[in-house]
Amino acid sequence: MFRTGSRGTHDTGPAAEALRLVKVTKTYGGGDSEVTALDGITLSLSRGSFTAVMGPSGSGKSTLLQCAAGLDRPDSGIVVVDGAEMTGSGEAELTRFRRSRVGFVFQQYNLLDTLTVVQNTVLPLKLAGRRVDRRRAREILTAVGLGDRLGHRPDQLSGGQRQRVAIARALVTEPRVIFADEPTGALDSRSAREVLRLLQEAVRVHGRTVVMVTHDPVAASYADSVLFLADGRLAGHLHAPTADAVAERLAHLGDDVPAGV
Amino acid sequence: MLVLALRSVRQRPGRLLATLLSAFLGAAIIMTFNSLHDTAGQPGVDSVSAETLTTSASVVGGYGTLLVFFAVASTLTVNVRQRSAELELLRCSGATPAQIKRMVVGEAVVVALAGAALAIGPAMLGGHALLGVFQDSGQVADSVDYAFGPVALVSGVDITLVAAAGAAFLAVRRATRPAVRRGRARTFLAYGALVAGAVSVTTTFAFSATDAALMAAPAYGAILLSVGLAMLAPRLLNGLLAGLSLTGASGWLAVRTLRRRVEHVSGILMSLVLFTAVSTATLTMQSVESDAVAASGLRKSVDAKNLETLNLTVVGIIAVFVCVMLVNSLYAATTYRGGEFGRQRLAGATPGQVLGTVGVETAVLTAVGVLLGSVAALAGIVPFTMVRTDGVLPGQAPGIWLAVSSVAAAVTLGTSLGTARRALRTPAVAAVATVA
Ligand SMILES: Nc1ncnc2c1ncn2[C@@H]1O[C@H](COP(=O)(O)OP(=O)(O)OP(=O)(O)O)[C@@H](O)[C@H]1O
Ligand SMILES: [Mg+2]
Repeated sequence: MFRTGSRGTHDTGPAAEALRLVKVTKTYGGGDSEVTALDGITLSLSRGSFTAVMGPSGSGKSTLLQCAAGLDRPDSGIVVVDGAEMTGSGEAELTRFRRSRVGFVFQQYNLLDTLTVVQNTVLPLKLAGRRVDRRRAREILTAVGLGDRLGHRPDQLSGGQRQRVAIARALVTEPRVIFADEPTGALDSRSAREVLRLLQEAVRVHGRTVVMVTHDPVAASYADSVLFLADGRLAGHLHAPTADAVAERLAHLGDDVPAGV
Repeated sequence: MLVLALRSVRQRPGRLLATLLSAFLGAAIIMTFNSLHDTAGQPGVDSVSAETLTTSASVVGGYGTLLVFFAVASTLTVNVRQRSAELELLRCSGATPAQIKRMVVGEAVVVALAGAALAIGPAMLGGHALLGVFQDSGQVADSVDYAFGPVALVSGVDITLVAAAGAAFLAVRRATRPAVRRGRARTFLAYGALVAGAVSVTTTFAFSATDAALMAAPAYGAILLSVGLAMLAPRLLNGLLAGLSLTGASGWLAVRTLRRRVEHVSGILMSLVLFTAVSTATLTMQSVESDAVAASGLRKSVDAKNLETLNLTVVGIIAVFVCVMLVNSLYAATTYRGGEFGRQRLAGATPGQVLGTVGVETAVLTAVGVLLGSVAALAGIVPFTMVRTDGVLPGQAPGIWLAVSSVAAAVTLGTSLGTARRALRTPAVAAVATVA
């Protein structure tokens, strides 16, 4: 069902390139109200990298993440995750494609209120029909600082704790790429720091690849590099970012693009 | 405060459609039957016709009213429960519990009044048609004219209003004051209904086999018992779920989801239990009655046939009404779950797995509801059969029970799976973004 890229196959080992997008476009609406959210994006991220995506509101960051993660289908272009090209258009097919390759962390956590912390964490494994290693789940939850909250429900946790559950849930399937859309957008600065450290650790310690959308230059400074997006196009790139450098770039980006498109 | 309620009704008419529908149908049924009282009360109606009309208005109108009351109340409870997030938001933005209570109850009153007003026209047509059936079957003189008067109007409006406002009041009190000695009053009511039902069922033995109103006592009894059992159903469901372990991702998720949603599904269980109990009990009793009449050979067979048709029409109206209410509350409950389904999908569930989970949940609910409804129905059928005939359990009971259970299962599964399927058409990311 899924074609395998030339860089190697999923079975024989991870590809050196974790994510590749080729001329990806996405348009919403039709007629007069047509919006080009992504306008021919081509990019490549290597394995074990931590990339922040920044840009004005409406520049297409969320759309980019969703197309890359298989939560949405681009209108045209190619998405390759860990050497496997995303094909097929049905939701079930995309879901199966995502399961072993992609983890996603949302600004609004998107945990299930009816399940406990542990149950939320192992849910992706259950759904994928994979063996549920409860000890491993507990280890991961302990690592994100929730070892004493295993039986709690999301509504008994703070925002920062919920986001850490979401990260544990994204880590448990051992995906190649973790996408995070404004994961610290609803958190205070201390909880945000904890979440960012966890994402950094996933990259440094566990060799995962993380792509994170953020509006916060400080959050972006945790990444190895920053991609800037404006009007659905790539508008620059910053290596080893500092908060100040990012803020500076964003300000100039704002010059070219009228705010609130 | 009524202004606030009116405004909130106007802003979200779609949300209240389910409540409006139940108020409308409930009022229509009550008015239809109670207009027979008005018709009988007109000057110049002969005493035989008047008695026939009054008896059937009292018997059917009586338990129909009880039924409508609980059906409207359970739909409203489902509606308020679902809005707990919205109410929480209101509370956080400074509304006092008293204000929220007034808004929700006011909303229920507005919707109930609108439903009752809309019901007047259809109830007149329905009552007219019902009188026609009575006249065709020779039970009522052809000279009697139909009348829609104060009895129909007042009872229809009052009962709908009390059911809607009462249910809204109780539900919102629970929503705004969580976990405060809840369950006490419910348990008390449940046992009260069970005792009243048991008494009513036992009263059957005080009647003689040929009393015209013989069917009333066991029918009331079965409905009261089903209400009592339905109120205790969440507890039974809890016990069942504690021991239930299903394999497969959908089964696993369904059991865990249901454990946390027992309170939410209590309204649906109520409709399910009522439907099973009422349909099984009344249809079986009617068929026992028809057989007994046929066996006695007292009446001409044409008359007997007509009477049977008449009674089946009446029972059918009630059964269809409860069935519509079941669909209504199930639909309302499932449409609100789009966000939850979205989160399941984002966690890696395929649409098939989401539907599978909904299917398992519904199957468990149906099993519990049908079981309790059958117990209540049996409690009404057995005394009736013992008084009316020599037997205990009529031969046609298993067939009717099977048919009713199949309809219940088909309707609940069909509605929840169909509604869930529609909810799945919204992309997962968009589904979780819409505020419940
Ligand atoms: N489902 C949709 N239907 C129609 N238009 C959409 C939809 N989703 C996004 N858009 C449009 O596409 C463009 C890009 O949206 P996107 O959500 O990707 O922006 P963003 O960069 O994530 O913004 P923000 O920083 O505010 O989250 C916007 O103009 C938006 O209005
Ligand atoms: Mg966004």
